[in-house]
Amino acid sequence: MRWTGRSRGLALLALLACAGCAGNGAGLDQNGQPIGSESSGASGPLTAELQSIQANVFTPICTRCHIGASAPEGLRLDAADSYNLLVGVPSAEVPSLLRVMPGDPDESYLVLKLQGSAGIVGGQMPLGGPYLPQSTIDAIRQWITNGAPNSASMEVSSSRESARAFAIVGTAPVDGAHLSAPLRQIVVAFNHEVDASLVNDTNIALEQIDMTDTTTMQPLPIHAALATGNPSVIVILPRAALGPGAYRVSVRGTGGGGLADVDATALAGDHAFAFAVEPGP
Amino acid sequence: MNSGYFRATLGSLLIALLFLTCPAHAEPYLAVQMGLKCGQCHVNPTGGGLRTPFGDAFAQSVMPHQHLDTGADTWVGELNRFVSVGGDLRFDGEYETTPGSPSVDSFALEQARIYLNGTVIPNRLAVYVDEQVAPGGALNREAYGMYWSASHEWYLKAGQLYLPFGLRLQDQTAFIQTASGINMTTPDQGAELGWEHNAWDAQFAVSNGTAGGPEIDHGKQYSGQLIYVEPQWRLGLGLNVNDAAAGSKSALALFGGLKTGPIAWLAQAELVDDKSIPNDGGKMLATLLEANWLIARGNNLKITSEFLDPDRNVAENEQTRWSLVYELTPIQFLQLRAGVRYSDGIPQDDAEHVRLYFLEVHGFF
Repeated sequence: MRWTGRSRGLALLALLACAGCAGNGAGLDQNGQPIGSESSGASGPLTAELQSIQANVFTPICTRCHIGASAPEGLRLDAADSYNLLVGVPSAEVPSLLRVMPGDPDESYLVLKLQGSAGIVGGQMPLGGPYLPQSTIDAIRQWITNGAPNSASMEVSSSRESARAFAIVGTAPVDGAHLSAPLRQIVVAFNHEVDASLVNDTNIALEQIDMTDTTTMQPLPIHAALATGNPSVIVILPRAALGPGAYRVSVRGTGGGGLADVDATALAGDHAFAFAVEPGP
Repeated sequence: MNSGYFRATLGSLLIALLFLTCPAHAEPYLAVQMGLKCGQCHVNPTGGGLRTPFGDAFAQSVMPHQHLDTGADTWVGELNRFVSVGGDLRFDGEYETTPGSPSVDSFALEQARIYLNGTVIPNRLAVYVDEQVAPGGALNREAYGMYWSASHEWYLKAGQLYLPFGLRLQDQTAFIQTASGINMTTPDQGAELGWEHNAWDAQFAVSNGTAGGPEIDHGKQYSGQLIYVEPQWRLGLGLNVNDAAAGSKSALALFGGLKTGPIAWLAQAELVDDKSIPNDGGKMLATLLEANWLIARGNNLKITSEFLDPDRNVAENEQTRWSLVYELTPIQFLQLRAGVRYSDGIPQDDAEHVRLYFLEVHGFF
């Protein structure tokens, strides 16, 4: 087939015709969800509250990439995960900085990435732009300055959440995980704020599993404390980074002095999760 | 440095290029224009990163509008027989408007990357590093060892690598790059087995599935593609499954290229199902159709249309994006790009109505 100038022009016009059309948004909210559906939420104007930031920034903009199994740097910013993976959690790119340091936006890696500040690794977020307007970044900075409260879950907790038993809602590593050495911290997230006075090595234990006799455990010294500004999360720091081996973390809720929330509701039962640390790359 | 070696190598490459009727650069459309596989111009068989001596020779002799001859040795990337280096630098001036927000004009260093390849056993064993050095601190993109079989039909590489899945575009924000989550910003740690035989090209990779982050579960990510390459066209099928604790994600891509006279066409359609998104909201469809019109030597007009359905269970939420980019390569290793990107989406979301105008200087070696 000979491609003349006319046929080339027709082909390019065909390209224009193949584009398809954008949706007209009928019946949808600002996030593209059907109005009235479970996933719909009126976002309203941006304020310095997590719920507003989630609805106006994280969900409509960040979760275009930061969601699901392939979320970059393992950072998922959907409503279910954003708080526990942001507040008080070290960044993957610069571990010396927390993603969100409550009370200090200038030391929060999230803010540095959004601003494109010196010292970040990789590009400014959102990657490739459009970058967030300063007014939006200011709202996030203000939320962090306010202590990065979890307003999103607070709304839920006013109804059914607080009625639920005090329980673990997530761990990092998860039970059965295989990850590369060295491992410097373990995170346990709860559905209620934890009574800080009960966070001690009696209720929180880390043991190394003897692979020749898996019933034998070697206790390891740790420092366990509530995450900075995130009292629903316990950060466990082994005295020495964990090398290759199998490990188990135990959280005690039964018996006298077991772990409880700030309302003195004891943790429902004892819990344990195990993981393996493999030689690093 | 042995200048005789360089001259002999370059001479051979230029002679080879004389027998080719179309150019090859460093993007998929260039491979389509050339009728070649990605590995012809790139050390990485799946494309991107360090150029081969063939790719460097092409960048000097065929790609530019004019070859600037200073009488000095010609660069083919090789410091010696065992070590090759290369790099890319992209610097943009941008003007961007978003409804409801003040317009923004800015200069931005988009990317500076350095590549290093150590061929410790010629034609068989290599160690390769792709490091982004700016903006911000250093960030490793790829770092792997690669072993080729004696027949050069098989290879195995292990380390941190870009995953084989569909077209590997320069624009990392394209819908087909973000919907699958597989692009050059999300390399993963694992191993890749490759096979190249006549017109066939295939890769299969197993990786952590954490986009470079720490592994947190037993689940692994499996990525593969099978491509058939003819001089005038190519067709490929890509598959990705990521079995992760947060919820499994799968993607299927059909992609291809076609050369019609001076126009090289690229197309990809992909279906994504991300189970980690609540309410079954992770069923996506993303497409790309792109025409690259080689108007004259060193002058390329790129027209791209993209479509994204971010949730196939919801009607009237689709997004589109148009790009019109003129690429001028006045001399070797220097490219000037001017373009506009026009996004469209639901009227409720201002962020889906961005207009981006940009000028870019792209230097590479």
